Order: sequence, then structure tokens, then C-alpha cells
Amino acid sequence: MGIERQEALEALNDVAQIARRVRQSRIYQLSSLLMVMWGALVMAGNIGSSLWPRSAGFLWLGVHVTGIAASFALGAVSYSRTGTRTFDSRMFVAFLLFIAFGIFSCWLGNFNNPRQIGTFWAIYFMLVYTVAGLWVGLAYVAIGLSITALTLIGYFFAGEWFEPWMAVVNGGGLILGGLWMRRS
Amino acid sequence: MAELDEIIHQPLRLKIMAALNALPPAVAGLEFSRLKKLTGATDGNLGAHIETLARAGYVTLEKAFLGKKPQTTVTATAAGRGAFARHVAMLQEIIAASALRPE
Repeated sequence: MGIERQEALEALNDVAQIARRVRQSRIYQLSSLLMVMWGALVMAGNIGSSLWPRSAGFLWLGVHVTGIAASFALGAVSYSRTGTRTFDSRMFVAFLLFIAFGIFSCWLGNFNNPRQIGTFWAIYFMLVYTVAGLWVGLAYVAIGLSITALTLIGYFFAGEWFEPWMAVVNGGGLILGGLWMRRS
Repeated sequence: MAELDEIIHQPLRLKIMAALNALPPAVAGLEFSRLKKLTGATDGNLGAHIETLARAGYVTLEKAFLGKKPQTTVTATAAGRGAFARHVAMLQEIIAASALRPE
């Protein structure tokens, strides 16, 4: 069986394209569970902040500590099943640096009300999703930009319903985004 | 020059083998539904080509039930992985040889 250069090129192109799709599909599968888990935590954080505004700082600290611990646990389970790490010590350090820069920005920007702080953190996290999406898949970009837009709508128009709004669009958005990625 | 593997060279079978070979060693295989999404093939077409690959000993099929839902997992065998690697090497050889050939 003999074939020409063009047919060989097309066949190799198909192979490369499928390999790319498999990699992306695996990233989506593995990260969707993390996204759903963070979505549930963010939803709980926003509902908690709305019900107990004075304890919001502690609540969010609890959300982040729980989220990091659960991310490590999910990472360990996924590693034992698939040999792929979804959350390792390098990501943990990156996460700490990201949080530290966020705290510094809040201090520098003199954000002094929960609405500003809530909007900043949501948009800041979604910026990471959007930028990461440029490399790992457009689903991340779509989720990042949609939640950013909905957060800004909430900031300007949700009034005293800002925190419930954020529970739905930020927490709910991540949960729906994670489920959508699982199917794609 | 060695012959191209006719079983693998068919476009959809090449895609199936490429998808299975792109998996890390720790992952056993791909479910039929996922392969269908990745290759863009129809149920019948995909099933027929998987059967051809299975008859050649390039893939194995494992049928199980997830609750009440039947699930078929397709896994590349060692022979299948080897045949795929040789086929890709052959395609690269054809391209390299044509680049050296005067027009």
C-alpha cells in the first residue's frame, strides 16, 4: 500500500488533532470535579457572609482552607487512579502567592466594604480561569468571562442582594461550568 | 520501505488508535461514548471500526454496567500500540522521503 506525501501529512495531522482533543478532554474531566467542589464552597461562603456578615472573614478563611485540603485530597485520588496530578505542592505555592497578591491589592486599593472585596476576589479568580483557558481550553475562558460579567452586573445593580447574587452566579456558575466541562 | 498498516490507515481507525495512544499508561482505555465524541463518528460506524481493530488484536473491549447503563471501554493492546507507533513512523518517513525527492 503506497500513499503520497499529502495523504501522509493529513493522516499525521489527524493524529495530532485527536491527541490534542484527548489531552483537553482529560484536563476538563479532571478539573471539573475541582470546579464543582470550589463552586459549592464559594456558594456556601457567600450565603454565610450574607447571613452572618460579621463573621465573613472567618467564613472565607474556612472556605479557602477547606478548598485547599479538598483539592489536595481530590488530587491524590486522581493521581492514584490516572497517574495525573491535578493539585500538587507547586500549585499550592502558586495558590498562596495568588492569595497574598490579592490581599496586598485589597490593602493597596483600600477596599473597605464587603461588596468591593467580594467583587474584587471573584473577578481576580476569574482572571486566572480566563488566562489559563488560553492554554488549556476555551471552556475556561467562557466560564471566566461569564462569571466576571455577571459579578459586575451584581456589583452595580444587585443592591442589598449582592451576596445572594454572588452565591448564585459565582458559586452556581462554577458548579454549572464544572458539570458542562464534564460533558464536553 | 515497509508497507503501511492497512487496518490502521483507514481514517476513523487511525483516529481511534490515536485517541487510545494519547492516554497515559495508567489510564486503561476510553469509553465508547467518549471515543464517539472525540472522533465525531456515528454509533454504527464507530462500532464497526472498533470491531475490525479488535479482530486484528489491536484493541480489547470490556463491557460493564454502570448502574443500569451499559458501558463499553476500548483499550489498545500492546500489539495495537506497537502497530500504531510503526504506522506513524512510516507516515513520517514518507514525508521525509518526499522532501528529499527532486520535483
